[in-house]
Formats: sequence, structure tokens, C-alpha cells
Amino acid sequence: MILFVALLPVLIKNINQNYTDSRLRKQKDKVLKTVKELGIKYYIQNGESYAAYTPIKDVYVSLEEDTLNENLDNIKNEVRKVEADTIEYRILSHNFHIEKRNYLLEIGISQDSVNERTGPLQSIAFVILVSMVILTIIADQVYSDYILRPLSLIIKTKLIGNKFPNFGSYKEVKTSTYDFHHLDISIHQMIQTIESTFQKEREFISNASHELMTPISILQSKIENMFEEEDVADELKVRLLEMQKILNRLKSITKTLLLISQIENEQFLKEDKISVSALLQQVYDEISIRLQDKNINYQVNINNDWNLVNVNKFLLFNLFFNLVNNAIKYNKEGGDIKVEALKEGNAYVVKIIDTGLGISAADLPFIFNRFKKLRQSLQQESFGLGLPIVKSIADFHHIKIEVASEKDKGSTFKLIFSPELIGS
Amino acid sequence: MNVLIIEDEKALARELEIFLTNYNYICEVCFDGVSASEKVAVNLYDFILIDLGLPDYEGLDLLKEAKKNNPDAAYIILTARAEIYDRIKGLDMGADDYLAKPFSLLELQSRMQAITRRKFGLKNNVVELGDFLVNLTDRIITHGGAEISAITKKEFDLVAYLILHKNRTVTRNQLSEHIWGSIINDDYDSNYIDAHIKNIRKKLNAFSPPDWLETVRGLGYKIKINT
Repeated sequence: MILFVALLPVLIKNINQNYTDSRLRKQKDKVLKTVKELGIKYYIQNGESYAAYTPIKDVYVSLEEDTLNENLDNIKNEVRKVEADTIEYRILSHNFHIEKRNYLLEIGISQDSVNERTGPLQSIAFVILVSMVILTIIADQVYSDYILRPLSLIIKTKLIGNKFPNFGSYKEVKTSTYDFHHLDISIHQMIQTIESTFQKEREFISNASHELMTPISILQSKIENMFEEEDVADELKVRLLEMQKILNRLKSITKTLLLISQIENEQFLKEDKISVSALLQQVYDEISIRLQDKNINYQVNINNDWNLVNVNKFLLFNLFFNLVNNAIKYNKEGGDIKVEALKEGNAYVVKIIDTGLGISAADLPFIFNRFKKLRQSLQQESFGLGLPIVKSIADFHHIKIEVASEKDKGSTFKLIFSPELIGS
Repeated sequence: MNVLIIEDEKALARELEIFLTNYNYICEVCFDGVSASEKVAVNLYDFILIDLGLPDYEGLDLLKEAKKNNPDAAYIILTARAEIYDRIKGLDMGADDYLAKPFSLLELQSRMQAITRRKFGLKNNVVELGDFLVNLTDRIITHGGAEISAITKKEFDLVAYLILHKNRTVTRNQLSEHIWGSIINDDYDSNYIDAHIKNIRKKLNAFSPPDWLETVRGLGYKIKINT
């Protein structure tokens, strides 16, 4: 293709020259025919030579007696002087004998006029060429799009757009190409495998925690009853209390796991409406004793209060409780916690800012993992499910969480509420 | 008062029986749905505690059946499968309360008390504690006729729970569970009960010393009422 484009001027020139030459020959044939029919006298009388040219001298014809005994019949580029102008011509020279005399016929077309035709020809050829190239590209694109449509459909519907892996409905991508069909089926099978593993994990957690509830319940009742018996010594009661504490820990873990699995199995309704200020007040009522206990300065700034709709009040309360509770737990004595509810552009945002221990950058990606105990709280025991609860409640409500933290400086948890959660 | 306990876990049923008998209830126990169904058809009860997860009977069906012959009884559902829909359904079908396992026996007792107060119209709802009067209906504490408004909702809850289980030591765990039981968080040993009690004492002390509120060292708290 490139070779073709590069050779194009030469080719055009060549074609043009051939065309010029054939014009010259036609002209010659015409002159010779006239001579044959009307005799040489039509052009030459009294031995004078004949010459004719157009006013701009782009074409000329000359006929004269040739004194040299040549036998020319060729076409060459030569320079001729016509009147005052020196012009380069493409000239046909032809010798012929008639009435025992030798004549030389010359027909010339100026190179300029030849070149004049070359220019437009070249540009026409170029335009055609370019349009053909464009056409080819478009045709290729359309054709490959058509051919590859199943592939792009697979990518669009199975891999991007929806969050991957996209569970639930499988829609077969129609294709006659075996490879694409195979790809589609393989992706589907992969997703199914992941889905069933997810499902099994959820079911396991749900069943395990449910099954644990009854034995825990029996133990708890037994300890409570033993505690109330009159003939139990105080020393023994203290030990019973320790057992109760340990049982509480087991209960707490089991209940939390059960809650997370219930959220993930979407067993909660989202039909409540509550204002951010009311929600934060509820959290404050429950948590104020912990703030007081650690002498923490707690500040709530609500720039413009708004209603949260299509939410589960119980879950949202637990989300905020756990975030504020974390901010207390990982804070220093006499530290600060600021809760800000504001509109950032079009987004409704709640920020919980603490002056606590902070999270190192290396640990930050793992804070929402279950049972990951990254920060060792100073005074309280916890089992690393606080943030996983927060995460699963946030995901359930499509609330985005962003965390910024600096070691020993504090953390900011930012909740971004999606528009469908914002009421009037 | 007569209580029917329908619970297939024998060990748990037995603990419920011991506990409620201690609180002067007269208990009968069924370990399966069929015998429970026979019992509710013949006898009358004040309280029926139903475990929803019976192996031989759909718990909600049993509830419906029992309601026919025992329409005035108070029903409390006990279940380990704390599904939200079960809860809504159970309450829709006329259960008075719902307790998810594992629950504290004290919590069960306080729920039963609350139902008794509501259903059987218990009049005497003002308890005298030293110079203080605690009104459990209006949820206020008064001293010499004046309300002590500094007492918060949480603090009142604690006092009321201790009054309900008067003359018994209630452990910090039991108090915690009553006050914060529905909150799911990952502290298993968080104990702010002491801080709350300290606040209550401080607020009441401004009027007169609340000697009736005792600390049982190492165990918990107790409200002493001489009857």
C-alpha cells in the first residue's frame, strides 16, 4: 500500500506520457492521411516548410523537406525555440517519402501542458486512494465489530458494568463461533463456582451460629440459676461470673457472625426513615457513658440535616454505634471525636474524625477483614468484628466508606450516601 | 401463675422450670409439639412459652392452635432461628413478646412482669426506696414530691431492672445485657455499668444517700426492699 502511494506520482506521470504519445501518433496519422488524400501540396507549396502552432505555443506541427536522408519515427523530449520562447516539448519526429522527396514531420506538445494534466490527475487519484483507504478501514471495523460482537457482549454483560462476579441470572450470549461460546460457558461456570462457594460460606456461618445459640442458651441459663442458689459460696459465685463473661464473649462473636450472615443474605427490610440528627442522637444516648469514661470531647456538627430513607434503622444505628465506638476505643484519654454531617457537592456525607491511634498505611487495606486485629486497643477486649459489621451494613445500603488515617494522629471514616437513600 | 414451657431442648426446659419456680410460677413442661398440643387443648395457662424450632411441629401452627383454647394467655416466643420474618409473623399472630436465644433468664422474667403489668392491670407501680419513690409506669424517680430530672433513660432502666429483681444480686453481665443487649458490637468485656451506677448514686446523693442500692463486691448490684 505504502509502495503504491509512493509510486503514485511516477505511475501517473507514466500514464500521462503514454496518453500524450498516443495523441501525438493520432495527430501524425491524421496529417499523413491528409497528405495521402490531398497531396503534399496541401501543406507545402514551392518548397516552403509548413508550421502551425496555437497562440500559447503548447502544441505545434511542422512539415518540411528533410535534407538529411534519415528514417526517423520516434518520440523524444527536446527543446525547441519558437519565436522568442524556448520551450521544452515532447516531440514526435517522422520521416516519410512522397513524390521522391523526403519529408520530416514534427508534432510537439509542450511539457508544461503535459504536466498541467498530470497535477489534477494526481490529485484525483490521491482523493480516490484516500477514500478507498477510509472505506476499507470502516468496512474492516464494521465487519470485525460484527464478528467480535459476541466477545464484546460477553465482556460488557459478564465482566464490566455489573459488579463482578455477577451472580444470579445467566443469559446466554448468542454466537455461532465455537470459541466465543466456549468462553461464555467457561465464564459462566467460573461465576457459578464462585457463587456456590460464597453461598456455602454464608450458609455455613448462618447454620453454625444458629446451632451454637441453643447450647450457649443452655449454659447461660445454667450459670444464671446456679448463681441464684443460696448455698453457693461467694468465692464460687465469682468464678461463675468469670464463666459468664467468657460465655458472653462466645455469645457476642456468634451473634455478630449471625448478624453479618443475615445482612449478607438480605434478611433485613429497608423501609425505615430517620433523620441523621435523630440517628446520631440515639447513638449518643447509648454511647455517652463510654465518652465520659474516657473523658473524650465529642462534637457533632450537622450543617444541614437530612432524612435517610429506604434504610434499616436498627442496622444503621449499629453502623454508627460501631464507628463511634471504635473512635472511642482507639482514642487516647481526653482525646477528640468530631462527627460532621454535610453536603459535599451533590453527595451527602458523614465523617467521623478521631484523634486516636490511627492505622498504618500497610494495615489500611485489611481493616474490614473479619477477625483481623490490627490495632491493639489499650483497655478493652475485642475480637475484630466491629469494622466488618460496619462494612456489611454499609454494603447492604450501598453506602460508600472511605478511610484516611495516619499512625498516631487519628483516623477519618467518611460515609458517602447514595442518592436513593436521601429523602426530602 | 401457670406457665407452660414448650421446649425440645430438655436441659434448657429444665433450667427455665427451675428459674420460674424460684420466682413462684407454677410450671409444666412439654418437650414436643404433640404433647403440647394436647396440653393446651385441656388446660388453661397464664403464660405459654413456645420454642419455634420444634422437631415435630411447626411452631407458628402450635401458636395458632393454642390461641383457640387459651385466648387470654400471654405468649412468648423463644427461638434460636432469629429470623426477622419469623419475628414479624409471630407478633402478627398474637404473640406478646419474642426472645431470641440465647437470652438471660432475668430478661425473660422482666418481660413476663411487663406483660403481667400490661395484661392483668397491676396497679401498684410505685416502689418506695428510702426517701425516694420510683414510679415504674411514668418512669420517674421523685424525692419529696419533686421529680429528679437528672436521671437519664438508661439510668432509670438500670434502677427499674434492679427493682424487678429486688433482693437478688444482678451481675454486671446481666445488667449489660439488659441495657445494651440489642447492640451488636465487638467488645465482649465492655463494662460501663459501674460508671452508670456511679452517676446514679451521685445524682441521688444530692437529695439523700441511696443506701438501698448495694454493691455486691466482685459480683454486681442489688436493691434491697424489705417486704
